[in-house]
Amino acid sequence: MSVLTPEALFEELSNAVVEMDEERVITGSEAALAADIDAYDAIQQGLSHGMERAGQLFEDEEYFIPELLMCSDAMYAGLEVLKPHLKRTTESRGTVVIGVIEGDTHDIGKNMVRIMLESGGFKVIDLGRDVTPQRFVDTARESKADIIALSTLMTTTMDGMGTVVRLLEEADLRGGVKVMVGGGPISTGFAKRIGADGYAVNAAEAVKVARELVGNA
Amino acid sequence: MNDASPKERLLDTLAKKTVDRPPVICTGGMMNSAIVDVMNKTGHTLPEAHFEAARMADLATGIHTETGFENMGIPFCMTVEAEVLGSVIDFGSRACEPKIARELYPSAKDVVFKDISSLLRVGRISEVAGAAELLVRHNPEQPVIGSLTGPISTAASVVDPLQFLKELRKDRDSAHRLLDYVSSFLIGFARILVDSGATAICIGDPTATGEILGPRMFDEYAVTYLNRIIDGIHASGVPVLVHICGEMKAVKGSIPLLHSDAISTDAFVNLKLLKQEYPQLTTMGNLSTILLESGDPEKVAQRTTTLVREGIDIISPACGLSTSTSLATIRAMTDTVKEGVRGAGI
Repeated sequence: MSVLTPEALFEELSNAVVEMDEERVITGSEAALAADIDAYDAIQQGLSHGMERAGQLFEDEEYFIPELLMCSDAMYAGLEVLKPHLKRTTESRGTVVIGVIEGDTHDIGKNMVRIMLESGGFKVIDLGRDVTPQRFVDTARESKADIIALSTLMTTTMDGMGTVVRLLEEADLRGGVKVMVGGGPISTGFAKRIGADGYAVNAAEAVKVARELVGNA
Repeated sequence: MNDASPKERLLDTLAKKTVDRPPVICTGGMMNSAIVDVMNKTGHTLPEAHFEAARMADLATGIHTETGFENMGIPFCMTVEAEVLGSVIDFGSRACEPKIARELYPSAKDVVFKDISSLLRVGRISEVAGAAELLVRHNPEQPVIGSLTGPISTAASVVDPLQFLKELRKDRDSAHRLLDYVSSFLIGFARILVDSGATAICIGDPTATGEILGPRMFDEYAVTYLNRIIDGIHASGVPVLVHICGEMKAVKGSIPLLHSDAISTDAFVNLKLLKQEYPQLTTMGNLSTILLESGDPEKVAQRTTTLVREGIDIISPACGLSTSTSLATIRAMTDTVKEGVRGAGI
């Protein structure tokens, strides 16, 4: 490994993430540190790069949720190694408050979006499942968030999404906080109807939408 | 043939016999139709009706009477199975369905396998069975449908779902062992419902979608265990309906592999095209629950008419109904089917 150029190491990290190989990601990350490569560069050009490719494979329906989850595990394993060696704090693209609106049965989609947003450079505050519309708004205010991301799988809980938009307006926060929605029953039409700013069909697209919303696509 | 009872009509449809018109049903379980309007009107409310046979039967009867759906469907949630298998359930409220508050195990390899016959004696199983018995006794002409949570969703309600999805790939032995256990339990539950008089069993498995699993894992896990359960239920002599969530695009080719007597789909799926491609399928669906919720009876009637004209075998909502759906739109759907659609190709 020691003879590898930084570029070759970045590629190895990226490939190991795409190939879901935690061990190789760890070895590669350690090799990067040993070669005095900036941890930030190894994360950006290695791990995040790999995760972005995994996201693309997911969009192309080559990868599905289990594969994407294993890629993210590999990425996080590398982050564990590299993060303590970061010389500068990673510049965040923005803060996103995410959660599943109250009433939904499970949160697989939301967790996928969180993972993709984190690997895409966002700071993510995850409120978990069964979150009331008010809590989204309160957290967004306290954390000065740029985006609230809402996901649902069920028609039952779609009403709550509109409530979040309304509460933001009432709290006079609508100017600073964008709202993006996604999940099984949601469509672009629905997103428009409730006044959301963005709609993502899946977790990989959610990162692109979030970047557009904070204006650094 | 015009005087076929709703029960005969559904059974004939599932047996691929000629019928006067398609049945219009809503199975319960995942396809829940316990809307707030019905509860307010009948006084039979959730969450109370989740726990007691008589209340469950009363609410199912109320739904049937008020909505016009030609069946009775129980239970009203997807948590009976996970509760018995040990997960913590949040039973929700009048407007909010029960859900898993916490899965019992962090990983499939941690699951402790219990004796199936003792599992079948605990939780709400006997209440659901009791409700089926009451419904069958009082409504001999109506099909009583028992709803099951499918194997993948049940497994993902007992084990942390993300961990379980990963294990489908990286610890296949543990995943298969868990699904085998869950399937045996589900067959046992279904048989109790059949012994209590259930006319048919419907399986909804929202975690088993093409979008989540992809085609390979859908075949390896969803098709395998759904079929095992369907075969187990068939052995007790009743038909099985299966609802597949999502766009189904990635797994369409696997749908004819399922042994079920009908396939129900989400609103995204063009059932007419599915039928053209696989004429052997008995199709069920797929009126958009968003359309039903949006409250325009006229549009609902139009869309229902189209489904009947396209020869969809069983007319049904495409997913669980939002609890704020109005009776007027549901009535528009059921009345349209019952009044008969001109030009329906039968």
